[in-house]
Amino acid sequence: MKLENFPQLASVQQIEQGFESLGYICSPKIATAVFLAFQLRKPILVEGPPGVGKTELAKTTALLLETPLIRLQCYEGLDEAKALYEWKYGKQLLYTQVLKEKLGDLLHGAKDLAESVERLHQFGDIFYSEDFLEPRPLLKAMQQERGAILLIDEVDKSDYEFESLLLEILSDYQVSIPEIGTVKARTSPMVFLTSNNTRDISDALKRRCLHLYIPFPTVELEERIVRSRVPDVDEHLRHQLVEFVHSLRQLDLRKAPAISETIDWARSLLLLHADHLDEELVRSTLNVLLKFEDDIEAAGGELRKLLRPAAGD
Amino acid sequence: MQSNLVNFIQVLRTHDIRVSPAETLDAMDVTRTLGYADRSLLRDGLAMTLAKTPEEEAVFLQCFDRYFSQSLADFAGGEAAGDGTVADEDAASPGLDAGPEGAPSPVPAPLAEAAAGDPQLQALLEAPLMQALLQNDRNTLTLAMGRAAERVGLRQIQMFTQKGQFTRRMLDELGEEHIRQAVIELEKQESPALVEMQRYRDILREQVRDYVEREYLLHAGGRNQQFMDDILSRTRLNNIEHMYLHKVHELVRKMARKLASRHARRRRTFKRGQLDMGRTLRRGIPHDGVMFTAYWKKVRREKPQILAVCDVSGSVAAYAKFLLLFLYSLQDVLPRVRSFAFSSHLGEVSDLFVQHPVEKAIELVNWKYGGATDYGSSLLDFAALALDDINSNTTVIILGDARNNNGDPKLEILRSIYQRARQVIWLNPESRRAWGTGDSEMLRYQSACHFTAECNNLKQLERIVDQLLKSTR
Repeated sequence: MKLENFPQLASVQQIEQGFESLGYICSPKIATAVFLAFQLRKPILVEGPPGVGKTELAKTTALLLETPLIRLQCYEGLDEAKALYEWKYGKQLLYTQVLKEKLGDLLHGAKDLAESVERLHQFGDIFYSEDFLEPRPLLKAMQQERGAILLIDEVDKSDYEFESLLLEILSDYQVSIPEIGTVKARTSPMVFLTSNNTRDISDALKRRCLHLYIPFPTVELEERIVRSRVPDVDEHLRHQLVEFVHSLRQLDLRKAPAISETIDWARSLLLLHADHLDEELVRSTLNVLLKFEDDIEAAGGELRKLLRPAAGD
Repeated sequence: MQSNLVNFIQVLRTHDIRVSPAETLDAMDVTRTLGYADRSLLRDGLAMTLAKTPEEEAVFLQCFDRYFSQSLADFAGGEAAGDGTVADEDAASPGLDAGPEGAPSPVPAPLAEAAAGDPQLQALLEAPLMQALLQNDRNTLTLAMGRAAERVGLRQIQMFTQKGQFTRRMLDELGEEHIRQAVIELEKQESPALVEMQRYRDILREQVRDYVEREYLLHAGGRNQQFMDDILSRTRLNNIEHMYLHKVHELVRKMARKLASRHARRRRTFKRGQLDMGRTLRRGIPHDGVMFTAYWKKVRREKPQILAVCDVSGSVAAYAKFLLLFLYSLQDVLPRVRSFAFSSHLGEVSDLFVQHPVEKAIELVNWKYGGATDYGSSLLDFAALALDDINSNTTVIILGDARNNNGDPKLEILRSIYQRARQVIWLNPESRRAWGTGDSEMLRYQSACHFTAECNNLKQLERIVDQLLKSTR
């Protein structure tokens, strides 16, 4: 029933170290959430601004545990035929055609209609059995022998009705299929739900999950992240660029630069062989960090002021 | 400790965090898994199960710190100054505190001398309470205070005026009267031990007073907040003191969110009449191509569009601030709201709302569009700006007192809006009796509105907007 015992998840510290060895630097809070989710068999609802590593967390956990990652990307109009299961209609149709003759043999010698039907009843619902079931991500996650990481990405994009569909899966790790009955998970998967907060998630769903909010990291944490992702950037520049990104986040922007943008920027600075930040360089590479014309303009005006604390070390 | 956790959850509830029984059980599981050894670990773990939004988490952290760090102020410091010995201990919370070593009772010399000849005083010194005080044993003292608080029902405290009363009762429950008695006795005897005894009495009083104060903040703080919110939402908007403005802001925002989430979900409807051929065929395959079930095309309903027009002239200045606040919040949570403001002329302010934080935006709107009212020309401006966009999905809300300084009301423009729009709603801050008096054109404008209402406190505003969203569905 339970995910087998993974020594990688034995304590909060071990999780933190395991993640770090895979290049995912996290705060103790995130590690605690993973630890609790594993111990209590509860899904985690991860919220936070885009680009702080919500999806990455699930991927890294899958890597750490060496289990398959099954991902369900949510969108408006997602329904159970795409998320849960569907019948293989083609196969059903083909089989009925092929088995037609067999059927004739079987019914051969039956006295009347009642007897034929009686004989047919002995075979049960052959065409509505697991062999004809096309599992979609949610069901697939239930069927994994060794357990799996199930990532339900951007659950806030899905419709309200879809959330209700998730409730049964998240609290009991089982799926009800009308024709077959209840399918219980062989090994309950570890579930991550992510949300960008475009709408409020229903209370019923929240109640079943651990709630993890990942904010933008602190300067110190972000420097560690950049160091692990872009190890070639020298220490001085790394400090400068992280400081600069942090001061950018203080501005009133439409979309503040996230960790992934910081990493991209560090990579581009590396390509440009920069060893310190100056106004010209920042201005020409600002489009890596900011994705809106308004934002670039707003930040461009403040550039000198923003650079002063970052440079004055 | 389990009951401690339940009490803590009670505290969270008074602070407006909704915790269900299931979540309480989860929290218990969390404490069992994580243990009490690491405070910040426990805090993070509990936060994940109990606080489900970033806002709740902020409140949670505040409550956690207040609740679990009820360490007593270290009163060994004062003693050390007196006898010249150094006693140093870090302040720590009761549950996590290892407790001081059981050193032999350091009864100060004058007290010991006085007690030698007085069996009553001797007995008092050996009582647990006095021992705890003498040995600076904060754990025992905290426990004793906790028990006393339980007996006097300190958790029921609601108003700050009750603080004195509860302190007194707590002291009685702890047995402070014996110490008081002893002080009186010593005073009569003019004993040198008097000062020491008085000092211990004061320490005890101070500790209890602190304890009551903390409990008050924990239990009554949240309740008072609810009380306050309730009052504010019933007060006429122009009477709300300036100092409460930021509170109202929060309240309005909460309200707008609530309304938006209540109505945002019912936008999709089935439209019978158009067959979804593909889906019906596909669903028919298992039945050998016989289409048992018909599937109809789902039609995504046009999301309602709201045009809100707000009067910001001098006569409604006190209301305008709130109405703008409401518009601002509404635009934050509903996707298709366009806002306009006017006094003598009218302009669209949607962009201002998008680009600026709320205070700045309201200030800018007032500065740009404030002045004397002219409904006629404002309606003209409005028609020029937005009349083409008004269709059967549009709701037009007008916020204003309809006092036109005896100018031309240009009723025909409102009428043409009335004919095109799904709904025209006029919210007037004046009471219904004043409509039509003096230069008020309200009665005339009323003829070209689907719905008019008096609206001068937040409760009314909420009810009207709720109704409005229901009908725009």
